[in-house]
Amino acid sequence: MNQIVSTHGLSKRYGDTYRVKDVNLSVNEGDIYGFLGPNGAGKSTTLKMILGLTRPTDGKVTVFGKNFGANRRLILSQIGSLIESPSYYGHLTGFENMRVIQKLRDVPDKNVTEAFKIVRLENQKDKRVGQYSLGMKQRLGIAMAILSFPKLLILDEPTNGLDPAGIGEIRELIKSLPQRYEMTVLISSHLLSEIEQMATSVGIINDGMMMFQGSMTALKNKNRPTIMVKTQNNKLAQKLLLAKGFSPQQNEDALLFENLTDHQTAAVNRSLVEANIDVMRIEEHKKNLERIFLDITGKERSL
Amino acid sequence: MLKRCISAEWMKLRDSHIWMILMILPIISVLIGSVNFYMNQGVLKKEWYSLWSQVGLFYGEFFFPILIAICCAYMWRLEHHNKNWNMIMTAPVPTTSIFLSKLIVVGILMIAVQIFFFILFFLGGKLAGITADLPRELAGWLLRGWIAALSISSLQLALSMHIRSFATPIGIGLCATFIGLGMYVAHLGLFFPHSLLTIGMGVLSQTSLSFSESLLFIIMNLLYIAVICTGAIYRMSRSDVVA
Repeated sequence: MNQIVSTHGLSKRYGDTYRVKDVNLSVNEGDIYGFLGPNGAGKSTTLKMILGLTRPTDGKVTVFGKNFGANRRLILSQIGSLIESPSYYGHLTGFENMRVIQKLRDVPDKNVTEAFKIVRLENQKDKRVGQYSLGMKQRLGIAMAILSFPKLLILDEPTNGLDPAGIGEIRELIKSLPQRYEMTVLISSHLLSEIEQMATSVGIINDGMMMFQGSMTALKNKNRPTIMVKTQNNKLAQKLLLAKGFSPQQNEDALLFENLTDHQTAAVNRSLVEANIDVMRIEEHKKNLERIFLDITGKERSL
Repeated sequence: MLKRCISAEWMKLRDSHIWMILMILPIISVLIGSVNFYMNQGVLKKEWYSLWSQVGLFYGEFFFPILIAICCAYMWRLEHHNKNWNMIMTAPVPTTSIFLSKLIVVGILMIAVQIFFFILFFLGGKLAGITADLPRELAGWLLRGWIAALSISSLQLALSMHIRSFATPIGIGLCATFIGLGMYVAHLGLFFPHSLLTIGMGVLSQTSLSFSESLLFIIMNLLYIAVICTGAIYRMSRSDVVA
């Protein structure tokens, strides 16, 4: 598969602290790549470096197989983006705002009509954008990003400020882009549920470092159940089971087993009972994606 | 590429109120200057030249540079607001075109302002009862005033691009007019854009420039424009975008 975006050791330092450190991000053609992380994890900074808005302290950005620095204009002409929050000229109408971008990007009139239709703003296009609601501005921002029907679409928290119906609609729209227009989408969010419903690939960033990158399926595979066994004497039990070839982990007041089949569970129980260690509980714990995400980012506090 | 940027800049000026500023400031300068001239006709006997000395003083020394500063600040205010920096810097156009298109648009607006100012000056003179022919230096003053205006515009555009505040660069521009006056008085006028305006428009001395003076005047202006624009564009392409 063709790599559309790849970064190599991408870093950005402000003063003494790294906002982004050694990020190797890789987006394949036709992907909807969900870039996930808590607020302030470095998502926007990374996306801004990919777009050349921020100069990396270190590392390299390659887009469409070309080095960004040397091919800035060519690359930008094939990227549509919405970073941070929508850009607009408040004193102009939605239509005039689109005309400004149309001039800068040199695209035909029919693109303007179509982009308005896609985000369903046709009826509001002659209103001043200053009077738009937040959701309408967001739609306009998306329309501006897809105006040139680019090969790569970069959307930074695109559903910010939208109501639930709007979020659903934008989600369906984004999901349809790869097939309908052969676009590759790189989308960031701090909401796992949102990414889960759209993305085919995922990158999880925390404190400026990439914690996980892979397909959505690979992430979900981390979702294996664990067996928790609580005994009267966990230390002794652990010693015994280690000798029998199991690999229990001590966790608070219980032992944790990963990848245990039903038969193995029964065997563990039998060994313990035979060794006269009372088994008080055997429980199956299923991690949901939320839990995996929290484990990866190590953040319980804010998402 | 540059043409596309210029037409995008024009688009952005639609429905804006900048036109009002561009008209009001010349009207005020001509009004004050003409009234001054009318009241003191006993001393000011050189007809159009005297009127120019009065009107030009207010316009060339004060209102015109301020008008340029406001206009340039407005051009960048559009981008400083609502994250528009992100938009223009991700557009597939060279940063040079972005800056130059703003300078060119300001330049075109300044031609309009100079023409408007000329019409006002002419009307003011007629209303004050001047019957003589228009001075032959007039076209040169207006043209050189425009050339110096381009130097000041480059400076103000560079300031307003860098400083997010609307008022600060205008305040700096105001200070610069006084510095310009000082430099002119100290015969160092060629070394400051605002003094070049004083020289070019024949504000304080209505004698026309010799050929070599004119040439030097143009070279100095081109030099200012080139140096300031290069610096601003370099800075723009080098620094991180803060939207």
